[in-house]
Amino acid sequence: MLFNTVLIIGLTFAADPLDDYQKVIKPLLQSRCYSCHGALKQNSKLRLDTVSFILAGAGKSKIISPGNIKGSELLSRVTSLEESERMPPEGEPVTPAQIKAIERWIAAGAPGPENEKPEVSPKDHWAFNSPAKVAIPANTNPVDFFTTEAWKKKNLQPQQTAGKRTLLRRLYLDVIGLPPLEADYLSFINDSSPDAYEKIVDKLLASQQYGERWGRHWLDIWRYTDWWGLGAELRNSQKHIWHFRDWTIESLNNNLPYDEMVRQMIAADELSPTDDKKLRATGFLARQYFKFNHNSWMEETVEHTFKAFMGLTINCVRCHDHKYDPVTQVEYYQLRAFFEPYQVRTDMVSGESDFEKNGIPRVFDCNLDAPTYLFVRGDEKNPKKDKAIPPGVPSFLTLGDFKIEPVNLPIEAHAPELKPIAYENAKLLAKSKSEAASKAYSLAEEALKSIKKPEEKSLLEKKLASAKQGLEFANEEEKSIEPRWLATKAKLLEPMKAETKAKALLASKAEKQTALAKANLDILNAEIELLTAAKGKEDAAKKKMEAATKAQEVASKNIATPSEVFTAIKGSIKTLESNLEKEDSRNKPYPKTSTGRRSALAKWMTDKSNPLTARVAVNHIWARHFGRPLVDTVFDLGRKGALPSHPELLDWLAADFMQNNWDMKRLHRIMLTSKAYQMNSSTLGMEKNIALDPDNKLLWHMNPRRLEAQAVRDSMLQLAGKLDTTIGGPTIPPAAQNESNRRALYFFQSHNEHNIFLMQFDDANVLECYKREESILPQQALTLSNSKIAWSMAEAIHTQLQLKLSQASDKEFIQASFRLLLGSEPNDAEIAQCLDIFAAWNSANPAKQNVAGNARARLLLVHSLINHNDFVTVR
Amino acid sequence: MNHQRCSGNHRRAFLSDMGMGFTGLALGSMLQSDGISRADSSLPWSPPNGKPSSAAKAKSVIWLFMNGGVSHLETFDPKPELDKYAGKSIAETPYKGTQDPEKLKLARVTVVNDANGQQRNKLFPTQVGFKKRGQCGMDVSDWLPYLGNCADDMAIVRSMYTTDDNHGAQTQFHSGRHMLDGEFPTLGAWVHYGLGSLNDNLPQFVSMGNREYWNKKDGHYLGPMHDAVPVRAASGSPLDFGSPERPITPDEQKLGFDLVGKLNSIRGVEYPNDPALAARIKSYELAFRMQKSLPEVMDFSKETEETKRVYGIDKPASRDFGNQLLAARRLVERGVRFVQIQHGAGGAGAWDAHGGLKNNHSSNCAKVDQPIAGLIQDLKRRGLLDETLIVFASEFGRTPGTQGSDGRDHHIYGFSVMMAGGGIKGGTVHGTTDEIGFHAVENRHYVTDIHATILHLMGLDSRRLEIPGRKRLDIDHGRVIPQILA
Repeated sequence: MLFNTVLIIGLTFAADPLDDYQKVIKPLLQSRCYSCHGALKQNSKLRLDTVSFILAGAGKSKIISPGNIKGSELLSRVTSLEESERMPPEGEPVTPAQIKAIERWIAAGAPGPENEKPEVSPKDHWAFNSPAKVAIPANTNPVDFFTTEAWKKKNLQPQQTAGKRTLLRRLYLDVIGLPPLEADYLSFINDSSPDAYEKIVDKLLASQQYGERWGRHWLDIWRYTDWWGLGAELRNSQKHIWHFRDWTIESLNNNLPYDEMVRQMIAADELSPTDDKKLRATGFLARQYFKFNHNSWMEETVEHTFKAFMGLTINCVRCHDHKYDPVTQVEYYQLRAFFEPYQVRTDMVSGESDFEKNGIPRVFDCNLDAPTYLFVRGDEKNPKKDKAIPPGVPSFLTLGDFKIEPVNLPIEAHAPELKPIAYENAKLLAKSKSEAASKAYSLAEEALKSIKKPEEKSLLEKKLASAKQGLEFANEEEKSIEPRWLATKAKLLEPMKAETKAKALLASKAEKQTALAKANLDILNAEIELLTAAKGKEDAAKKKMEAATKAQEVASKNIATPSEVFTAIKGSIKTLESNLEKEDSRNKPYPKTSTGRRSALAKWMTDKSNPLTARVAVNHIWARHFGRPLVDTVFDLGRKGALPSHPELLDWLAADFMQNNWDMKRLHRIMLTSKAYQMNSSTLGMEKNIALDPDNKLLWHMNPRRLEAQAVRDSMLQLAGKLDTTIGGPTIPPAAQNESNRRALYFFQSHNEHNIFLMQFDDANVLECYKREESILPQQALTLSNSKIAWSMAEAIHTQLQLKLSQASDKEFIQASFRLLLGSEPNDAEIAQCLDIFAAWNSANPAKQNVAGNARARLLLVHSLINHNDFVTVR
Repeated sequence: MNHQRCSGNHRRAFLSDMGMGFTGLALGSMLQSDGISRADSSLPWSPPNGKPSSAAKAKSVIWLFMNGGVSHLETFDPKPELDKYAGKSIAETPYKGTQDPEKLKLARVTVVNDANGQQRNKLFPTQVGFKKRGQCGMDVSDWLPYLGNCADDMAIVRSMYTTDDNHGAQTQFHSGRHMLDGEFPTLGAWVHYGLGSLNDNLPQFVSMGNREYWNKKDGHYLGPMHDAVPVRAASGSPLDFGSPERPITPDEQKLGFDLVGKLNSIRGVEYPNDPALAARIKSYELAFRMQKSLPEVMDFSKETEETKRVYGIDKPASRDFGNQLLAARRLVERGVRFVQIQHGAGGAGAWDAHGGLKNNHSSNCAKVDQPIAGLIQDLKRRGLLDETLIVFASEFGRTPGTQGSDGRDHHIYGFSVMMAGGGIKGGTVHGTTDEIGFHAVENRHYVTDIHATILHLMGLDSRRLEIPGRKRLDIDHGRVIPQILA
């Protein structure tokens, strides 16, 4: 016994040196050293990714001498007590166990495995080369071709096609985010034509709800959020950002090519500078706004633009060169430079001149010469100001010529006050004020006529005089719009003409007349205040009177002195660049040119030779149809990201996507009509598959998924027949959400404002949401068990079912409820279980039983099925 | 300090409940295929097993956070020199060295040129007297007379610092990271992640009080199951959706929950390997127990009048906070791990005394003083103080200089935190600030040192709680403060 023990210990110590290398040393080098001494970089001309590289050393100097621990620099560097000497330079030192392994390995002569392969060159990384289509047999769905190949290789048996109800419910929820109703099930079940399924796919992709459902998905990725700040102060995102949401929904419904969507989001202001509909797309960039720190605004813009569209973690390169991908720190700042000049403004929309109430938030290049500096180690306090960094793309992704050409903007683009709506809105507003004033005047007249207390006569007379003057003021203001508009236009279009001067004089005069009318009104109002002032408050009223009198004098004098100063008609308002920006800077005319940087970037991002953009989009769409992406790290297709589960399939779909003009509906259709998509999600009796591929990486059955927060809520409303299907428009404020029957994607939602129902079901994190969480929490159970909405929708669903089934048996009611709420037929055990509970419910509440038969139990059943796992699950 | 923002890879999600009691499951299941660097890469990573990794001194934490920033100068860190040089600019005093730009570099500015978060150079005299309290003779403000009675149970760390000169420091105090770095799990989430449940009927991490200014999430990359469950000290509605919003008898509801469980189990025959289904069955069982248990916890009818008086519940000023602290005792008594209570609504927090500091702090102190002292006293007589850690803190202190005529601004360079209970050496004053309370000078501590100390007392090592793909920096882990340990 003793002998045995000693032997075992002895064996453990005498580790195989090759094992030391392969199990301890190589993984250590890989995780801590390859980024600077591997295929990506060869600092000090040293590579460590094979034993022969290690033996070759750094340039001329060796770093290990096999057999001699003391003479090996590798060891002295990793064990050095000097921080400046010690390798690796960052993070914790190498552990004693690892050092022991290195010592043993060197002492044993530093053996290496045969045919050891060096790291693949970063340029050869799969995602950095254009996707290509592997040939597949004609009339074969590529999804089925490649998944079948994968099953064959692994000896996996694919799952059967799901039942018709399960399939239809999956399809509806997936494509439009709403479950089917019984009539939909029946027409599908009864349609025996071979393309019955395809017809539904096409119908759903053509429905307006497709844009809402998939719009919400894309808005997750694009960090859509309503504005937030401190109290009423806007600090993040923009008001009326819902225009960007509406653009997203419309673009998807119109099947706008994906590349065009990306271009519009990044640069519609340069590519279509006068197209208000397209300008809404730049809400993507307007959302990045952060009032208090331009640097962090820029950081987030760079980070999420590249994560969302190109699957690159460029954010890692702010402080140092990328540890995995061939991107240098300088290149990070080159990418930032594309965005440096842009700012946000709100352009007027027809019918609303109050920018607080409506307007299109959009971006424009404002600070054309704003320099971008490299921050040493990413520290904004330490910019290298000797050199401004120009915009540019990473050299490893240079795709032919890259040119940036400034864009000359049409005048309505940089002077939106020239748009007819600016004038029309001003007129409209002035007119509505006149009408209100006129109404107030009639009321004042009426009040004097029907006077009851004679002692109030003089007050009412004064009030009438004030109302009359109010009307006068409103009329003057209305009259001033036309000359101001003419002068505004002339100044912009013909600044040098003599007539322009004359127009400015007229505008100025009209405005002064308005000011005088206002001053006269203020005097009258001050008189009224003086008359009605409470004891002790007379002084304040007197002061107002004095001020009004003085203002009136000034206004009268002004009229006598002609000038060309007038207030131009407004068509747009710039969002303050920061808390430091003053009004005069804010009101400067917008630049007449744009740098052209972002349109160049957008074209590069959507160039068909860009290897990343299409793959990233395909991966996102796939993830939402199949419950799991082809590349798990959806925002990182770089060398640190995961490998694709089906590389050839991803590439085929990406290449096909580009060849077919980035047609998203076509892509959806390919996925949805595949047999793989239509499989059952059960794993019953498939133990062999489970043993071979427990995580279902090769997709031998469908992945069941939990519904997203919005779909949980919308489903209840849809089944209850309560859903208001109005599309688009202003967001629904928090106070109105409980009573609203609109789809949940229209709810106001921000970093500070969470809808409490949606929050329980992992609503999108507005800061970053490349994939929704799918948590399972007891609070979700409480939400569905107790919330008013779950109850009232259960009641409505119950009422609808009872309309047809009040005379039917409980069993029939149970079957109908299962079909409607869960999309499946109950089996005998389920029916028996429900019938049992009916009896128990009835005896728990005998009073109710007599009133309405089994109605109470039936309501409770419907409510219970909303709480069923499969209600919140896509099977 | 390298504050890079690297969100790394998607969180590894767990498909088993790991015996961690009252948690949920996340089913992102985003398994990362490449080699991920870990502290010890020779061992495969595994999630915490819910047990302390070292002997635990405390079982629960009651975390009292004063929103807005408490003046250290008027609570636990008296500075007579402020009175001596009141009205003088710092440059005119012997302490002009405190303004050395190198020393002021600590601040990482979020809000460029904000009206607040500025240096205030004209010294403002202390607005309240101090007395030596307890056998230890610790200085405690006259605005905290009840807490003064507990001096021998309290440890004060007077040498805290942070780096966000604005109220983003609230998040920073909880997560250890500056707002510009992004969002990271808070201390309570780490405790919840690391430790198993002591009571399967109650959530193990709860939050009470006002948290309007900072984001209401805690778990962040650990997942939403590690967010605090918001509760209220009101037996009628202790939590959101905590009772049916339609009339239904308890019997009817119980039968409904049973039915859901049974129907889900029947589905399990067809979907035998669906972990979500299994988790949902469990989550409904937990929900039903939670709905029953929480109102009972929040029902104080069996507490004596004397107990309520101890917490100051009989006085209007301290009633609300007193109720919350009594609730906190009842929660930890039943095994809840982490009770986080935020005090002070309005703006960025009620303690944010940019003006009128005297009125502001005297009245806020009156709201919390007796309840906290009562909590210490009540836990002690029930034998629970030894296993319950109490922390009293705020995001930063307040400037030695005046803001306006009678306020103090945000101050990150030196401030105080009070701790008491399980494993803490009472009657301790640790660390110092300079003579005008400007910089922490001796035994300086960043906020994560408080985290490390708490985790240590709970028997956890934050380095062992790491998650693959989520690199944490040294500063995230912090260092235990041995001098305040019993």
